[in-house]
Amino acid sequence: MGGNNSDTMSLNLKVWRQKNNKDKGSMIDYKLDGVSPDMSFLEMMDTLNNKLIKEQGDSIAFDHDCREGICGMCSMMINGQAHGPEAETTTCQLHMRKFKDGDTIVVEPWRAKAFPVLKDLMVDRGAFDNIMAAGGFVNVNTGNPQDANSILIGQENAELAMDAAACIGCGACVASCKNASAMLFVSAKISQLALLPQGEVESLARTQAMVAKMDELGFGNCTNEAECEAQCPKGIKIENIARMNREWFKGALTSRK
Amino acid sequence: MTTKKLDGKVPSGPIQDRWKTHKFNMKIVNAANKRKYSVIVVGTGLAGASAAASLAELGYNVTTFCIQDSPRRAHSIAAQGGINAAKNYPNDGDSVYRLFYDTVKGGDYRARESNVYRLAEVSNSIIDQCVAQGVPFAREYGGTLSNRSFGGAQVSRTFYARGQTGQQLLLGAYSAMMKEVHNGKIKSFTRREIVELVMVEGKARGVIVRNVVTGEFEKYVADAVILATGGYGNVYYLSTNAKASNASAAFRAYKKGAYFANPCFTQIHPTCIPVSGDHQSKLTLMSESLRNDGRVWVPKMKGDKRAPTAIPEEERDYYLERIYPSFGNLVPRDVASRNAKIVCDEGRGVSATGMAVYLDFAAAIKRDGADKIKAKYGNLFDMYQRITDQDPYKTPMMIYPAIHYTMGGLWVDYNLMSNIPGLFVLGEANFSDHGANRLGASALMQGLADGYFVIPYTIGHYFATEKFEKIDTNHAEFERAISNSKALYKKLLSINGTKTVDDYHRALGHIMWEQVGMGRNEAGLKKAISDIQALRTDFWKNLKVSGGAEEVNTELEKAGRVADFLELGELMALDALERRESCGGHFREESQTEENEAKRDDENFCHVAAWEYSGVDIKPLRHTEELNFENVKLTQRSYK
Amino acid sequence: MSSKGSCSLHSSIGKKQVMGVSGLLLCGFLLTHMLGNFTMFIGADAFNKYSHTLTSNPLIYLAEAGLAALFLCHIFMAIKLILENKAARPVSYHMRETSGRGSTFASSTMPYTGSIALIFLIIHILGLKFGTQYTIIINGVEMRDIYKTTIEYFRDSLHVLGYIVAVVSLGIHVSHGFWSAFQSLGFNHPKYIGKIQLLSKLFGIVVAVGFSSFPIFCYLQGGK
Repeated sequence: MGGNNSDTMSLNLKVWRQKNNKDKGSMIDYKLDGVSPDMSFLEMMDTLNNKLIKEQGDSIAFDHDCREGICGMCSMMINGQAHGPEAETTTCQLHMRKFKDGDTIVVEPWRAKAFPVLKDLMVDRGAFDNIMAAGGFVNVNTGNPQDANSILIGQENAELAMDAAACIGCGACVASCKNASAMLFVSAKISQLALLPQGEVESLARTQAMVAKMDELGFGNCTNEAECEAQCPKGIKIENIARMNREWFKGALTSRK
Repeated sequence: MTTKKLDGKVPSGPIQDRWKTHKFNMKIVNAANKRKYSVIVVGTGLAGASAAASLAELGYNVTTFCIQDSPRRAHSIAAQGGINAAKNYPNDGDSVYRLFYDTVKGGDYRARESNVYRLAEVSNSIIDQCVAQGVPFAREYGGTLSNRSFGGAQVSRTFYARGQTGQQLLLGAYSAMMKEVHNGKIKSFTRREIVELVMVEGKARGVIVRNVVTGEFEKYVADAVILATGGYGNVYYLSTNAKASNASAAFRAYKKGAYFANPCFTQIHPTCIPVSGDHQSKLTLMSESLRNDGRVWVPKMKGDKRAPTAIPEEERDYYLERIYPSFGNLVPRDVASRNAKIVCDEGRGVSATGMAVYLDFAAAIKRDGADKIKAKYGNLFDMYQRITDQDPYKTPMMIYPAIHYTMGGLWVDYNLMSNIPGLFVLGEANFSDHGANRLGASALMQGLADGYFVIPYTIGHYFATEKFEKIDTNHAEFERAISNSKALYKKLLSINGTKTVDDYHRALGHIMWEQVGMGRNEAGLKKAISDIQALRTDFWKNLKVSGGAEEVNTELEKAGRVADFLELGELMALDALERRESCGGHFREESQTEENEAKRDDENFCHVAAWEYSGVDIKPLRHTEELNFENVKLTQRSYK
Repeated sequence: MSSKGSCSLHSSIGKKQVMGVSGLLLCGFLLTHMLGNFTMFIGADAFNKYSHTLTSNPLIYLAEAGLAALFLCHIFMAIKLILENKAARPVSYHMRETSGRGSTFASSTMPYTGSIALIFLIIHILGLKFGTQYTIIINGVEMRDIYKTTIEYFRDSLHVLGYIVAVVSLGIHVSHGFWSAFQSLGFNHPKYIGKIQLLSKLFGIVVAVGFSSFPIFCYLQGGK
């Protein structure tokens, strides 16, 4: 019962420290004892921080919020993988029982030109908002739309749209892609809306606009490696990228703008 | 100063017509004039994002602030179950009136009837609106929307998107907001925390915010300020709230004169994953739908350390089924939570900490087969296993109650405006619609109702009926507010003691959970007040905040919030002390029936308590607003 | 929503689709080239006649120009993409691991296998197409004895080895490139994507084994 919280672990941590956006930054080694296997990865980081504050007075900055795997705020490259080694698991849901006593763990921020480091492990993902503002919406104002059941949506498409809509916008796809490409994130939104009659109307223009914004912001290109899919904590499929490619091609052929 | 009777400005007439009549009676800002008005929206959860988008669409100039790195991350995103609406698609007898009735009753008669009726009335429009935005609700094979019964409701009125309804609704509202960013009508600022509300000539006219990346203080002016900053469950340190969820914007508005209503009304959710140790930073909720098939039990014997499967049937106490034979495991949230605490306090709790009870699926698996249980709860079981490393198909789950939602909040009138003109409060941050207990799948409904369908009307009325002096951020009030703000943060940094912010926050949480948690009594509440006061004094003497003022400093952010929690916690205890009745989530041990159930005192407490700040370490004033129940008859709840 | 997709070739997706289409066409070339070369196994005359038929057709210049254009297009886009991708992550990771569930050896080495193929292409053209010129008369028609050039060329075991390394790496390149082109063009559906990926791997093996068979054959011939 209650896990095996009697045996604690000692860990060697190598953590990226960078004072601010202008600082060059470097990897710093820390040793942490008394890590319970029941801790989440972030609770382990909390423990390290409380130790640092008391001993030397500068805690490691990292993003986190809901700590239940849905807000998309936590973002750490753990031992070279986005959100660590567990499939479909965010950093906050990764537990220390997945590591062993004496392990060395390397912790880095997401790295991409479009995600500049703000401090330590904290990056600016505002680029995702900018892409969303370029077209990640249905142009409908608050008011009196038709009754919710007046446009039927087949269950299969509704489910596929939900699969795509499950994206939490954490940026693991960018971080894990060797080209720092944002295609999985962008295609998830384009797919969701293209699969629903409400969004399908503007789909071609939306795809052109969002892709153009993504390119402008300096994300890399897709080389179809599917590492994004493999490291996505929500299991978003690259099938969505194919759908985006289709929508984009249709738009490129027919756009009058 | 004396206490006042507050006027909620509720329209008169038959309840069905009040909102319609009120909408007609409110003044409208001419379409071309709307661009002359500006609105600040603080918080971008369901209420904030929906309000920002809707107001921008009307033509107002909107500025939004959020603490996270993107508006999409607000904690509304974590809501799992669903959203209620009185569509009556399943033809099972639902109606606007029934949703209204259930919500008033569920709130244990401590909400305003008119507000609740309006909420039920606009619930259907919310579903229409969300579907139009591309929210992928669950659907039937034929393409129509699916509904389910939730939280003990007798009808199936809950719409859902898998176990991620909050996420999908929020992303819908966020996308509407991003549309207006695209159109240039919303300026969205992220990684900002509100430090102070700025008032000019008695009206809310702006905010001072702190940019948490640079540490700089920034000034923003507007014609109205909307707070949609969520609840204050994090006073308890451990809660299902997100780590950044805080009460600072609302609490600092309280210190500027806004009334804080019913702060003691907190909701404790019975099915959370128990605490595993001192390192615990937050609690994770498991959908209460689990109680449809799981049986709650503890060993009959105190300190029984055997594995659950080794405890024979006759030595188990299925206490909910024993005490409440007709509702059994499906009693409301407050009842289930309180009973779990009672058995754990008796020393019969399980897990290494003794602070958990079993939720056993063995009987259901035997009856329906593991496959059927997996189809219903597979994702919840997976989540449980990921966190606890235990397999709920083989061994019973362990659960314990946790703070989940706060029904109290800033006092608002029917127009959702606080007692400060121009300060509007939406969603969980206000007190208005859930009374003393919120029903499942009603929080999402309220957030979106306020943002999409109430504030666009009422804010226009405010603009159309008030005169606004042209001011900018050089106004003396802004200068004064910004120097106050700087002083506060400088002070926090200068203490340089020995204890971290988390140390204080945990200590506060412990006091709150023990004395202002599931069961409250006079002695405990008095002790809580004096303990919190002592802790607060210690905080300002021995706190250690590392890092500097002009950089990313998460410790400093937390320190500012905990400073507010240390005052708000006391206010909650005070409110609980003065409300000498049990109602909803507020259980006063002195006020119970012979069968140990909550006993309301409608004679003396059928009112809202709204607290007015009176100064540092001075007891605040308790104003009241009478609640009149003209449509729903006051009755005592019973689940036996 | 205003669209700035005016010049589609500047778009990341446009570039990928150009890579995909040019790559698929080049795969077609590889296949026909390989099938044609199989005439070598029939005999010297068959191989020389096949070569003569190809080169004596005036359309060959058009075809060669087209082929060159395809190569240049594929290479130019590749260089552009590689540079952009490098720029997209200016600071690299201290440690980067793949999950084992996504990228493969083939997918992660595309720039390298592509570069090897390019270097090989140049050596290949210089060594064979512009290699020693012999002539032979078959059925009264004078034509180039490309067979002899080939056999001579592969008498050098280093040439054989180099050729095999190159075509194996080409095989690896197309084993990812082939299915990748379909993905870039938007063909990915659970119903058939598995089959395309399988076909892609098979094609890679066919390219590697098929093309390797020529230098080995020649080496064995020349050794006699």
